[in-house]
Amino acid sequence: MSAAGGTAPRPAQEGAAGRAAGPVLEARGVSKRFGGLVAVERVDLAIAPGTVHSLIGPNGAGKTTLFNMITGIYRPDEGDILFRGRSVAGLPPEKVAERGISRTFQNVRLFKELTALENVLVGMHLHLRANFFDVVLHTPRVEAEERRARREARELLAAVGLGGLGDELAKNLPYGHQRRLEIARALAVRPALLLLDEPAAGMNPRETEAVMELIDGLRRERGLTILLIEHDMKVVMGISDVVTVLDHGAKIAEGPPDAIRRDPRVIEAYLGKAVER
Amino acid sequence: MAALARFWSPFRLRLPGGRAAQLLLIGGYLAFTVGLLLLFPRSIIAFLLYLANLLLVFGARAVPGAWQAAIAVVETLVVFPAVAAGNPFFMGVGTTVAIYVALALGLNIVIGYAGLLDLGYVAFYASGAYLWAIFSTGKAAEFLPFLHGPLGGEWFWPFLVLGLLFAALMGVLLGIPVLRLHGDYLAIVTLGFGEIIRILAAGLNSITNGAVGLPGVGAPAIGGRTLGAAVDFYFITLVIVGLIVWVTIRLEGSRIGRAWAAIREDETAARAMGVPLTRAKLLAFACGASFAGMMGVIFAAKQSYVDPTSFTFMESIGVVSMIVLGGMGGIPGVALGAAIVTLLNIQVLGGISDFINSVGARWGIQIPPALNPSQYHQLVFGVILVLMAIWRPEGLIPARRRHVRADEEAEPATPAAAPGGEPA
Amino acid sequence: MDILPQLFLDGLVVGFVYALIAVGYTMVYGVLELINFAHGDIFMVGAFVGTEVLVALAGWGLRATADPWLALSLALLPAMAVAAALGVAVERFAYRPLRRSPRLIILISAIGVSFIIEDLVRLVETIHQGKFVLPVPTVFPDVYHVSVPGLPSPLTIKANSLVVVGAAVIMMVVLTLIVSRTRAGRAMRAVAEDPVTAALQGVDVDRIIALTFLIGSAMGGAAGVLFATQYTTITPYIGFLIGIKAFTAAVVGGIGNIPGSFLGGILLGVLEQVGGGFVGAKFQNVFAFCVLVAVLIFKPSGLLGQRVQEKV
Repeated sequence: MSAAGGTAPRPAQEGAAGRAAGPVLEARGVSKRFGGLVAVERVDLAIAPGTVHSLIGPNGAGKTTLFNMITGIYRPDEGDILFRGRSVAGLPPEKVAERGISRTFQNVRLFKELTALENVLVGMHLHLRANFFDVVLHTPRVEAEERRARREARELLAAVGLGGLGDELAKNLPYGHQRRLEIARALAVRPALLLLDEPAAGMNPRETEAVMELIDGLRRERGLTILLIEHDMKVVMGISDVVTVLDHGAKIAEGPPDAIRRDPRVIEAYLGKAVER
Repeated sequence: MAALARFWSPFRLRLPGGRAAQLLLIGGYLAFTVGLLLLFPRSIIAFLLYLANLLLVFGARAVPGAWQAAIAVVETLVVFPAVAAGNPFFMGVGTTVAIYVALALGLNIVIGYAGLLDLGYVAFYASGAYLWAIFSTGKAAEFLPFLHGPLGGEWFWPFLVLGLLFAALMGVLLGIPVLRLHGDYLAIVTLGFGEIIRILAAGLNSITNGAVGLPGVGAPAIGGRTLGAAVDFYFITLVIVGLIVWVTIRLEGSRIGRAWAAIREDETAARAMGVPLTRAKLLAFACGASFAGMMGVIFAAKQSYVDPTSFTFMESIGVVSMIVLGGMGGIPGVALGAAIVTLLNIQVLGGISDFINSVGARWGIQIPPALNPSQYHQLVFGVILVLMAIWRPEGLIPARRRHVRADEEAEPATPAAAPGGEPA
Repeated sequence: MDILPQLFLDGLVVGFVYALIAVGYTMVYGVLELINFAHGDIFMVGAFVGTEVLVALAGWGLRATADPWLALSLALLPAMAVAAALGVAVERFAYRPLRRSPRLIILISAIGVSFIIEDLVRLVETIHQGKFVLPVPTVFPDVYHVSVPGLPSPLTIKANSLVVVGAAVIMMVVLTLIVSRTRAGRAMRAVAEDPVTAALQGVDVDRIIALTFLIGSAMGGAAGVLFATQYTTITPYIGFLIGIKAFTAAVVGGIGNIPGSFLGGILLGVLEQVGGGFVGAKFQNVFAFCVLVAVLIFKPSGLLGQRVQEKV
């Protein structure tokens, strides 16, 4: 496992200066079917750099499927996905991560038997160079690298509010902390684009507030572009720059939060139902 | 059932008392077991009790780690060989245990760390064994025109490395197509591969001598002196065990070990974090395979005879049950499991058989040889596997997850500006 | 090759036996996504029970050849019953407690069970018969030689082969009817599709899983008896290799798919005999393993299976 090809994407510079004009991520007519079921149908999406872009829609609208196509877990049946101008459709997940996209999962998928710190260190895999022989011979280079990585991992843990909890096993952390740890792990990949799948799910209002602040901080201080799936309308309306609404796999509306709130189609397809619930 | 589970769960290796008390205990017990070895020169119980010395050292948490390691090394490399020097029985048992410890530690990388159930591990062991056997018996000269006769014992050393490389190569060649498969499928395919290798070994007469096997495999030699005694193999094997332990410990706490753990815990999440799945699995697979190949070379030289019956599916499962019994992913546990299963297999069952036969002889009862407990290894493996899976899947000595080392904890964690970072 | 048609026929017969065993693998995999490693041994137990019945009948003066249909029925029924009971017991005690454990642990338990059954049968037979390699009484002794125009030598067909194929076909038809037409069959398919939803809709998942083991094991037990009468010698260790081959057949057909496992079994039987004819009997087993590896690598979904996508 040599670290060849691990070009570390540097989000801050490239995102802002490099291709500021074009979208960071662009989906062009992307579709995905499972058997007879159309999960996502010809969806177009363009995410501008440095924005928080939200995907909303009723359950089964195809949001997570879209995430899975962007991150390489599914290959789109139709269409293309461009990340910073290059196609990532059909790349394996690890290659997508290498390009600079990382994510969290709807049902938290931490490495349960590893400590919080180790979880974050796994996220740094692409940025560590130690190969088999370095490790076995324990060269000073490896030692220095490990030391740096651990320091950085601790900083990331602190940044998401888990400072001092590095040695806890992931499975022993409370649920809210696990969600934060997933974000820290995703940040360790040093992404330019961060995909968060329902980061506030199952949280109480106070925790939700804190997650919103966290996300806002990530954008402001790290220059990250964030694509967000969220059901909590307070979160979506509070921090999004753009909101895209999916229903039955198709895009039915897109625009700034205020416009979306008033869009009759959205109210019918999504908010209406949400209010009834 | 529940009572049994409760009986097992407090099995924590932790000695009471302070450092001095623990050292005293270790020393006293060592003296006691040395006495046993001398008094009972053919007692497997004495051997087992001597092995427990290592457990004791492991459980002495008040003793600094470096001391623990030093004591363990002295007990295995100095005291035991000195005591058992004139006793080929103990030396032979010790060597066999050491070989299986090495095999189990190697397979542990594949199963315990990377979470890949390899049921054909013995294939790599066989490839190493046959490699040395074919060249050192002169069989190779029959089909390789540039060779004239068997290779001498000096060649053993390069062949240790060649056996490692050859097995690693086979691991990679098998792994490339196969490692894309998930869990159960991988297990079945590796099982099939193990059988293929065994059938080939039994069938390719012109290369392996088929079912007849290859007798007269060469012993290692240095400067004209042949190292064919039990004690020689004991030391050679322990050096390899030390090497495997060293490599395993290094890997475990590294980026590579973390990648393996991540894959074991959640493949999808690991890939999404940029861990290259196939490459990481391949490395684990090849790593485990290469150790087996190396041990195969030693095994062939030690037995001085190689035939396909040493490399059956049973052998693979035997190694798997060592790991399951001891505790997947932990070095002390796996070593313990290997020792227990090996002794159970080669000695205890045979001992029970001897006992039954002697009782039978005294009472004039003819015990049919087919009822001999030593014929029921499979039953023993099976019971171990099922009981452990149900009651103690983490093994006798559960793997201790590595935490940050003390020297690093001293380093202050730089408190970065935490946006919205107060713990909810 | 002159013997090709003969090999083809022999392969067909063994293929039907594989198919019957493969059904058990496929059904269990369908509901639990587990390779029931002990299934080959349940087949073996069926073979032993059937053989013991035939031997006992002979001891009471009823030679199997005197009334072969009666003898076969008397052998099949207890064999199927014992195999079914064993299958349910294995599920109950070795798999159910582990349903929430990692896959690795369940598979390890399954391997353990397989080993235990093998040695227990060996132990019982050694005590009971004084040996554990048993000759099987002949049931249908007739052998037909059929001359086919265009073939240089006549084909040899054992009457027993015809019975094996006939019995296998009947059982497959019955199984297909059970799975497609009965309430229990529908519940079984629902559990295979999505256990959580099935449970929400009031299906007793534990019962359905037990039922799956029961039916699959009974088929395996029947296959054991048919195998024993066809191949005339059995040992407690026949389940391992034949089990793996039957599993291969299930994979070839598409695991989880019942018609697929029939097709896979027959295909593997024929391929193996014909292929073995070319590479030599010594390497015939290698051939089956190579098929397994090749299918898993190039078409893991099998011939009739659907590609399953992991839910993320």
